[in-house]
Amino acid sequence: MHTESQERDDVLLRRSAKGDEEAFTVLYRRHQAPLYRFALRMSGNVWAAEEIVQDVFMTLVREPRKFDPKRGALRSFLYGITRNRVLKHLERTPREFLHEELKEDSVGQPSMAFDAMTPAEWAEIRERREQVRAAVLRLPAEFREVMVLCGLEELSYEEAARLLDCPVGTIRSRLHRGRALLLAKLEMLRDTPKRAGASR
Amino acid sequence: MTCEEFELTGLDLETLQEDDPVHSAAREHLRSCPRCAALHENWQTLRADLHAVGAETQDVVTPARVEMRLRQEFRTRHKTVKAQRAAIYAGWTLAAAAVVVAAISWVNWRHTNGVGTTPSAVNSAQGVNMNKTVPAGPELGETIVASNDAGEFTLLPGSLPGMLGDATVVRVQMQRGALGALGLTVNEERAADLIQVDLLVGDDGQPQALRLAQTTN
Repeated sequence: MHTESQERDDVLLRRSAKGDEEAFTVLYRRHQAPLYRFALRMSGNVWAAEEIVQDVFMTLVREPRKFDPKRGALRSFLYGITRNRVLKHLERTPREFLHEELKEDSVGQPSMAFDAMTPAEWAEIRERREQVRAAVLRLPAEFREVMVLCGLEELSYEEAARLLDCPVGTIRSRLHRGRALLLAKLEMLRDTPKRAGASR
Repeated sequence: MTCEEFELTGLDLETLQEDDPVHSAAREHLRSCPRCAALHENWQTLRADLHAVGAETQDVVTPARVEMRLRQEFRTRHKTVKAQRAAIYAGWTLAAAAVVVAAISWVNWRHTNGVGTTPSAVNSAQGVNMNKTVPAGPELGETIVASNDAGEFTLLPGSLPGMLGDATVVRVQMQRGALGALGLTVNEERAADLIQVDLLVGDDGQPQALRLAQTTN
Protein backbone atom coordinates (compact mmCIF):
# COMPACT_ATOMS: atom_id res chain seq x y z
CA MET A 1 0.00 0.00 0.00
CA HIS A 2 2.78 2.35 1.01
CA THR A 3 4.80 1.41 -2.05
CA GLU A 4 1.80 1.97 -4.28
CA SER A 5 1.29 5.39 -2.80
CA GLN A 6 4.97 6.16 -3.25
CA GLU A 7 4.91 5.03 -6.85
CA ARG A 8 1.90 7.16 -7.45
CA ASP A 9 3.67 10.12 -5.94
CA ASP A 10 6.61 9.44 -8.26
CA VAL A 11 4.38 9.23 -11.28
CA LEU A 12 2.52 12.37 -10.30
CA LEU A 13 5.75 14.23 -9.70
CA ARG A 14 7.13 13.15 -13.06
CA ARG A 15 3.96 14.32 -14.76
CA SER A 16 4.05 17.52 -12.80
CA ALA A 17 7.66 18.12 -13.85
CA LYS A 18 6.52 17.85 -17.46
CA GLY A 19 3.96 20.57 -16.90
CA ASP A 20 0.85 18.57 -15.86
CA GLU A 21 -0.94 20.98 -13.54
CA GLU A 22 -3.54 18.41 -12.56
CA ALA A 23 -0.84 16.07 -11.27
CA PHE A 24 0.72 18.87 -9.27
CA THR A 25 -2.64 19.77 -7.75
CA VAL A 26 -3.25 16.16 -6.70
CA LEU A 27 0.18 16.04 -5.07
CA TYR A 28 -0.43 19.32 -3.31
CA ARG A 29 -3.80 18.31 -1.97
CA ARG A 30 -2.45 14.99 -0.81
CA HIS A 31 0.42 16.40 1.24
CA GLN A 32 -0.43 19.98 2.19
CA ALA A 33 -2.50 19.35 5.34
CA PRO A 34 0.03 17.43 7.50
CA LEU A 35 2.81 19.78 6.40
CA TYR A 36 0.71 22.81 7.27
CA ARG A 37 -0.22 21.33 10.65
CA PHE A 38 3.41 20.57 11.39
CA ALA A 39 4.52 24.08 10.41
CA LEU A 40 1.66 25.64 12.37
CA ARG A 41 2.30 23.62 15.52
CA MET A 42 6.02 24.27 15.30
CA SER A 43 5.79 27.99 14.62
CA GLY A 44 2.50 28.82 16.34
CA ASN A 45 1.89 31.31 13.56
CA VAL A 46 -0.65 30.82 10.77
CA TRP A 47 1.07 33.26 8.44
CA ALA A 48 4.44 31.63 8.88
CA ALA A 49 2.92 28.16 8.37
CA GLU A 50 1.21 29.32 5.19
CA GLU A 51 4.43 30.85 3.91
CA ILE A 52 6.41 27.73 4.73
CA VAL A 53 4.01 25.35 2.97
CA GLN A 54 3.94 27.60 -0.06
CA ASP A 55 7.72 27.67 -0.07
CA VAL A 56 7.93 23.87 0.17
CA PHE A 57 5.66 23.31 -2.82
CA MET A 58 7.36 26.10 -4.72
CA THR A 59 10.56 24.06 -4.38
CA LEU A 60 8.69 21.11 -5.84
CA VAL A 61 7.57 23.25 -8.78
CA ARG A 62 10.99 24.73 -9.40
CA GLU A 63 13.24 21.79 -8.70
CA PRO A 64 11.28 18.54 -8.94
CA ARG A 65 14.50 16.64 -9.63
CA LYS A 66 15.70 17.36 -6.13
CA PHE A 67 13.51 14.48 -5.01
CA ASP A 68 15.16 11.11 -5.43
CA PRO A 69 12.65 8.24 -5.01
CA LYS A 70 15.52 5.88 -4.13
CA ARG A 71 16.20 7.85 -0.95
CA GLY A 72 12.68 7.65 0.45
CA ALA A 73 9.09 8.66 0.10
CA LEU A 74 7.99 12.04 -1.17
CA ARG A 75 6.28 12.64 2.17
CA SER A 76 9.59 12.37 4.04
CA PHE A 77 11.24 14.62 1.47
CA LEU A 78 8.55 17.27 1.89
CA TYR A 79 8.70 16.98 5.68
CA GLY A 80 12.45 17.47 5.48
CA ILE A 81 12.08 20.70 3.52
CA THR A 82 9.28 21.88 5.82
CA ARG A 83 11.40 21.17 8.85
CA ASN A 84 14.34 23.14 7.45
CA ARG A 85 12.09 26.09 6.62
CA VAL A 86 10.51 25.98 10.08
CA LEU A 87 13.91 25.91 11.78
CA LYS A 88 15.05 28.87 9.66
CA HIS A 89 11.89 30.70 10.61
CA LEU A 90 12.45 29.95 14.30
CA GLU A 91 16.04 31.19 14.07
CA ARG A 92 14.83 34.47 12.62
CA THR A 93 11.95 34.93 15.03
CA PRO A 94 12.64 36.25 18.53
CA ARG A 95 11.34 33.90 21.22
CA GLU A 96 8.86 36.37 22.68
CA PHE A 97 7.00 36.49 19.35
CA LEU A 98 6.79 32.74 19.01
CA HIS A 99 3.58 32.30 20.83
CA GLU A 100 1.21 34.14 18.59
CA GLU A 101 -2.16 32.74 19.47
CA LEU A 102 -3.78 30.42 16.98
CA LYS A 103 -6.85 32.26 15.82
CA GLU A 104 -10.24 30.74 16.34
CA ASP A 105 -10.66 30.21 12.60
CA SER A 106 -7.39 28.33 12.40
CA VAL A 107 -8.27 25.70 15.00
CA GLY A 108 -10.99 23.12 14.98
CA GLN A 109 -14.34 23.67 16.57
CA PRO A 110 -14.69 22.68 20.25
CA SER A 111 -15.85 19.14 20.67
CA MET A 112 -19.38 18.19 21.66
CA ALA A 113 -18.17 17.56 25.22
CA PHE A 114 -17.88 21.34 25.65
CA ASP A 115 -21.66 21.64 25.40
CA ALA A 116 -22.10 19.77 28.69
CA MET A 117 -19.68 22.03 30.56
CA THR A 118 -20.29 25.09 32.61
CA PRO A 119 -18.63 28.29 31.33
CA ALA A 120 -16.15 28.11 34.20
CA GLU A 121 -15.11 24.57 33.34
CA TRP A 122 -14.92 25.46 29.69
CA ALA A 123 -12.72 28.46 30.44
CA GLU A 124 -10.48 26.39 32.67
CA ILE A 125 -9.99 23.77 29.99
CA ARG A 126 -9.35 26.42 27.35
CA GLU A 127 -6.79 28.02 29.60
CA ARG A 128 -5.06 24.73 30.31
CA ARG A 129 -4.84 23.88 26.64
CA GLU A 130 -3.56 27.32 25.89
CA GLN A 131 -0.85 26.72 28.47
CA VAL A 132 0.00 23.38 26.90
CA ARG A 133 0.24 24.98 23.47
CA ALA A 134 2.41 27.77 24.84
CA ALA A 135 4.63 25.30 26.67
CA VAL A 136 5.10 23.23 23.51
CA LEU A 137 6.04 26.36 21.58
CA ARG A 138 8.62 27.24 24.22
CA LEU A 139 10.41 23.90 23.91
CA PRO A 140 13.73 23.89 22.06
CA ALA A 141 13.16 23.04 18.40
CA GLU A 142 14.59 19.50 18.48
CA PHE A 143 12.29 18.49 21.36
CA ARG A 144 9.36 20.45 20.00
CA GLU A 145 9.36 18.68 16.65
CA VAL A 146 9.33 15.28 18.34
CA MET A 147 6.57 16.41 20.68
CA VAL A 148 4.56 17.79 17.74
CA LEU A 149 4.93 14.61 15.72
CA CYS A 150 4.46 12.06 18.51
CA GLY A 151 2.34 14.05 20.95
CA LEU A 152 0.10 16.18 18.74
CA GLU A 153 0.17 14.40 15.38
CA GLU A 154 0.28 11.06 17.24
CA LEU A 155 2.67 9.39 14.87
CA SER A 156 4.52 6.28 15.97
CA TYR A 157 8.17 6.57 16.95
CA GLU A 158 9.13 4.75 13.77
CA GLU A 159 7.17 7.13 11.57
CA ALA A 160 8.63 10.14 13.36
CA ALA A 161 12.12 8.69 12.97
CA ARG A 162 11.51 8.23 9.25
CA LEU A 163 10.26 11.77 8.81
CA LEU A 164 13.04 13.34 10.83
CA ASP A 165 15.61 11.00 9.29
CA CYS A 166 17.07 9.85 12.60
CA PRO A 167 17.14 6.61 14.63
CA VAL A 168 14.15 5.58 16.77
CA GLY A 169 16.41 5.76 19.82
CA THR A 170 16.96 9.46 19.19
CA ILE A 171 13.20 10.00 19.01
CA ARG A 172 12.75 8.15 22.32
CA SER A 173 15.43 10.14 24.12
CA ARG A 174 14.25 13.48 22.71
CA LEU A 175 10.70 12.65 23.66
CA HIS A 176 11.79 11.73 27.15
CA ARG A 177 13.69 14.98 27.55
CA GLY A 178 10.88 16.93 25.89
CA ARG A 179 8.31 15.50 28.29
CA ALA A 180 10.40 16.46 31.30
CA LEU A 181 10.86 19.99 29.96
CA LEU A 182 7.19 20.27 29.09
CA LEU A 183 6.08 19.13 32.53
CA ALA A 184 8.47 21.59 34.13
CA LYS A 185 7.28 24.43 31.93
CA LEU A 186 3.64 23.65 32.62
CA GLU A 187 4.35 23.51 36.31
CA MET A 188 5.90 26.94 35.99
CA LEU A 189 3.06 28.33 33.89
CA ARG A 190 0.43 27.00 36.27
CA ASP A 191 2.28 28.28 39.32
CA THR A 192 2.77 31.79 37.95
CA PRO A 193 -0.86 32.94 38.24
CA LYS A 194 -1.13 31.31 41.67
CA ARG A 195 1.99 33.09 42.87
CA ALA A 196 0.79 36.33 41.35
CA GLY A 197 -2.54 35.88 43.14
CA ALA A 198 -0.84 35.06 46.44
CA SER A 199 1.35 38.14 46.31
CA ARG A 200 -1.67 40.42 45.95
CA MET B 1 13.06 -1.03 37.61
CA THR B 2 14.72 2.21 38.66
CA CYS B 3 13.10 5.66 38.52
CA GLU B 4 15.29 6.54 35.55
CA GLU B 5 14.24 3.43 33.65
CA PHE B 6 10.62 4.13 34.51
CA GLU B 7 10.87 7.66 33.10
CA LEU B 8 12.37 6.28 29.91
CA THR B 9 10.11 3.33 29.28
CA GLY B 10 7.34 3.20 31.86
CA LEU B 11 5.59 6.51 31.26
CA ASP B 12 3.80 5.10 28.23
CA LEU B 13 2.47 2.23 30.32
CA GLU B 14 -0.84 2.17 28.50
CA THR B 15 0.80 1.65 25.14
CA LEU B 16 2.77 -1.38 26.36
CA GLN B 17 1.48 -4.92 25.92
CA GLU B 18 0.13 -6.61 29.07
CA ASP B 19 2.50 -9.54 28.64
CA ASP B 20 5.49 -7.26 28.10
CA PRO B 21 7.99 -7.70 30.99
CA VAL B 22 8.54 -3.91 30.98
CA HIS B 23 4.82 -3.44 31.61
CA SER B 24 4.78 -5.55 34.76
CA ALA B 25 8.06 -4.04 36.02
CA ALA B 26 6.70 -0.51 35.44
CA ARG B 27 3.46 -1.36 37.24
CA GLU B 28 5.46 -2.72 40.13
CA HIS B 29 7.62 0.40 40.26
CA LEU B 30 4.54 2.62 40.09
CA ARG B 31 3.12 0.98 43.20
CA SER B 32 6.32 1.35 45.15
CA CYS B 33 7.48 4.87 44.11
CA PRO B 34 5.17 7.82 44.92
CA ARG B 35 7.38 10.25 42.92
CA CYS B 36 7.07 8.20 39.78
CA ALA B 37 3.36 7.69 40.44
CA ALA B 38 2.90 11.48 40.56
CA LEU B 39 5.01 11.87 37.43
CA HIS B 40 2.95 9.25 35.66
CA GLU B 41 -0.28 10.95 36.64
CA ASN B 42 1.01 14.33 35.46
CA TRP B 43 2.12 12.82 32.21
CA GLN B 44 -1.26 11.20 31.66
CA THR B 45 -2.98 14.54 32.18
CA LEU B 46 -0.51 16.25 29.86
CA ARG B 47 -0.95 13.53 27.29
CA ALA B 48 -4.69 14.03 27.32
CA ASP B 49 -4.19 17.78 26.95
CA LEU B 50 -1.74 17.26 24.11
CA HIS B 51 -4.24 14.98 22.44
CA ALA B 52 -6.96 17.63 22.83
CA VAL B 53 -4.68 20.39 21.51
CA GLY B 54 -3.74 18.14 18.61
CA ALA B 55 -7.39 17.38 17.92
CA GLU B 56 -8.20 21.09 17.82
CA THR B 57 -5.83 21.62 14.94
CA GLN B 58 -6.34 18.21 13.37
CA ASP B 59 -8.58 19.46 10.60
CA VAL B 60 -6.73 22.61 9.66
CA VAL B 61 -5.65 22.87 6.06
CA THR B 62 -3.59 25.35 4.14
CA PRO B 63 -5.74 28.29 3.03
CA ALA B 64 -7.07 28.00 -0.52
CA ARG B 65 -5.12 31.08 -1.60
CA VAL B 66 -1.88 29.10 -1.27
CA GLU B 67 -3.09 26.54 -3.79
CA MET B 68 -4.14 29.33 -6.13
CA ARG B 69 -0.77 31.03 -5.85
CA LEU B 70 1.08 27.76 -6.41
CA ARG B 71 -0.99 26.87 -9.45
CA GLN B 72 -0.42 30.33 -10.86
CA GLU B 73 3.31 29.94 -10.32
CA PHE B 74 3.18 26.47 -11.86
CA ARG B 75 1.46 27.79 -14.98
CA THR B 76 3.79 30.73 -15.35
CA ARG B 77 6.83 28.57 -14.87
CA HIS B 78 5.85 25.91 -17.36
CA LYS B 79 4.75 28.48 -19.92
CA THR B 80 8.15 30.15 -19.59
CA VAL B 81 9.92 26.82 -19.86
CA LYS B 82 7.96 25.96 -23.01
CA ALA B 83 8.80 29.34 -24.53
CA GLN B 84 12.46 28.86 -23.62
CA ARG B 85 12.48 25.41 -25.18
CA ALA B 86 10.84 26.74 -28.36
CA ALA B 87 13.48 29.49 -28.54
CA ILE B 88 16.26 26.95 -28.06
CA TYR B 89 14.84 24.67 -30.78
CA ALA B 90 14.48 27.63 -33.14
CA GLY B 91 18.04 28.70 -32.40
CA TRP B 92 19.44 25.25 -33.07
CA THR B 93 17.40 24.90 -36.26
CA LEU B 94 18.71 28.22 -37.53
CA ALA B 95 22.26 27.28 -36.59
CA ALA B 96 21.92 23.92 -38.38
CA ALA B 97 20.49 25.64 -41.46
CA ALA B 98 23.38 28.12 -41.44
CA VAL B 99 25.89 25.27 -41.21
CA VAL B 100 24.25 23.46 -44.15
CA VAL B 101 24.22 26.64 -46.26
CA ALA B 102 27.85 27.31 -45.38
CA ALA B 103 28.82 23.73 -46.26
CA ILE B 104 27.02 23.88 -49.60
CA SER B 105 28.62 27.25 -50.38
CA TRP B 106 32.04 25.90 -49.52
CA VAL B 107 31.58 22.81 -51.69
CA ASN B 108 30.42 25.02 -54.56
CA TRP B 109 33.36 27.34 -54.08
CA ARG B 110 35.74 24.40 -54.02
CA HIS B 111 34.16 23.03 -57.13
CA THR B 112 34.39 26.37 -58.93
CA ASN B 113 37.95 26.85 -57.75
CA GLY B 114 38.83 23.30 -58.79
CA VAL B 115 37.89 24.07 -62.42
CA GLY B 116 40.33 27.01 -62.49
CA THR B 117 43.11 25.15 -60.73
CA THR B 118 46.42 25.07 -62.57
CA PRO B 119 47.18 21.71 -64.12
CA SER B 120 50.48 21.68 -62.27
CA ALA B 121 48.64 21.70 -58.97
CA VAL B 122 46.33 18.95 -60.16
CA ASN B 123 49.22 16.96 -61.48
CA SER B 124 51.18 17.49 -58.37
CA ALA B 125 48.24 16.32 -56.31
CA GLN B 126 47.93 13.23 -58.41
CA GLY B 127 51.65 12.66 -58.24
CA VAL B 128 51.92 11.19 -61.70
CA ASN B 129 53.97 11.93 -64.77
CA MET B 130 51.59 13.57 -67.15
CA ASN B 131 51.60 12.87 -70.84
CA LYS B 132 49.13 15.54 -71.88
CA THR B 133 50.28 18.36 -74.09
CA VAL B 134 48.43 21.54 -74.54
CA PRO B 135 48.94 22.70 -78.07
CA ALA B 136 49.68 26.07 -79.49
CA GLY B 137 48.97 29.53 -78.29
CA PRO B 138 49.93 29.63 -74.64
CA GLU B 139 49.75 33.06 -73.07
CA LEU B 140 52.66 34.71 -71.33
CA GLY B 141 53.32 33.05 -68.01
CA GLU B 142 50.64 30.43 -68.61
CA THR B 143 51.51 26.98 -67.42
CA ILE B 144 50.94 24.03 -69.68
CA VAL B 145 51.68 20.39 -69.35
CA ALA B 146 54.44 19.07 -71.58
CA SER B 147 55.31 15.61 -72.82
CA ASN B 148 57.94 13.76 -70.92
CA ASP B 149 59.48 11.71 -73.66
CA ALA B 150 62.90 13.22 -74.22
CA GLY B 151 64.31 13.29 -70.80
CA GLU B 152 67.01 15.83 -71.81
CA PHE B 153 66.59 17.96 -68.80
CA THR B 154 69.23 20.14 -67.28
CA LEU B 155 69.35 20.04 -63.54
CA LEU B 156 68.89 23.41 -61.96
CA PRO B 157 71.56 24.48 -59.47
CA GLY B 158 70.87 22.96 -56.07
CA SER B 159 68.78 20.06 -57.41
CA LEU B 160 69.78 16.43 -56.95
CA PRO B 161 69.13 13.74 -59.53
CA GLY B 162 67.60 11.45 -56.92
CA MET B 163 64.79 13.92 -56.26
CA LEU B 164 63.29 13.59 -59.74
CA GLY B 165 61.45 10.33 -59.15
CA ASP B 166 57.82 11.51 -59.21
CA ALA B 167 58.44 14.90 -60.72
CA THR B 168 55.92 16.47 -63.07
CA VAL B 169 56.75 18.05 -66.38
CA VAL B 170 55.18 21.44 -66.85
CA ARG B 171 55.53 23.57 -69.94
CA VAL B 172 55.60 27.31 -69.41
CA GLN B 173 56.11 30.25 -71.64
CA MET B 174 58.43 32.84 -70.19
CA GLN B 175 61.00 35.47 -71.02
CA ARG B 176 64.47 34.13 -71.40
CA GLY B 177 65.70 36.59 -68.76
CA ALA B 178 63.57 34.78 -66.18
CA LEU B 179 65.88 31.79 -66.44
CA GLY B 180 68.36 33.86 -64.44
CA ALA B 181 66.02 33.56 -61.48
CA LEU B 182 66.40 29.78 -61.71
CA GLY B 183 70.17 30.15 -61.46
CA LEU B 184 71.01 29.77 -65.16
CA THR B 185 73.19 32.03 -67.27
CA VAL B 186 71.25 34.16 -69.73
CA ASN B 187 72.35 35.95 -72.84
CA GLU B 188 71.57 39.58 -71.99
CA GLU B 189 70.93 40.54 -75.60
CA ARG B 190 68.07 38.05 -75.97
CA ALA B 191 66.72 38.38 -72.47
CA ALA B 192 63.39 39.73 -73.71
CA ASP B 193 62.72 36.76 -76.00
CA LEU B 194 59.77 34.55 -75.19
CA ILE B 195 60.69 30.93 -74.90
CA GLN B 196 58.83 27.77 -73.98
CA VAL B 197 60.45 25.75 -71.29
CA ASP B 198 59.59 22.35 -69.86
CA LEU B 199 60.05 22.44 -66.15
CA LEU B 200 60.46 19.31 -64.12
CA VAL B 201 58.61 20.16 -60.93
CA GLY B 202 59.36 18.09 -57.86
CA ASP B 203 57.00 16.88 -55.11
CA ASP B 204 57.67 20.06 -53.17
CA GLY B 205 56.40 22.20 -56.07
CA GLN B 206 59.88 23.58 -56.83
CA PRO B 207 61.38 23.27 -60.35
CA GLN B 208 64.21 20.78 -60.28
CA ALA B 209 65.29 20.69 -63.93
CA LEU B 210 64.39 22.25 -67.26
CA ARG B 211 64.76 21.88 -70.98
CA LEU B 212 64.11 24.29 -73.74
CA ALA B 213 61.13 23.22 -75.78
CA GLN B 214 61.00 25.85 -78.50
CA THR B 215 61.61 29.50 -78.97
CA THR B 216 58.55 31.47 -80.04
CA ASN B 217 60.21 34.77 -80.59
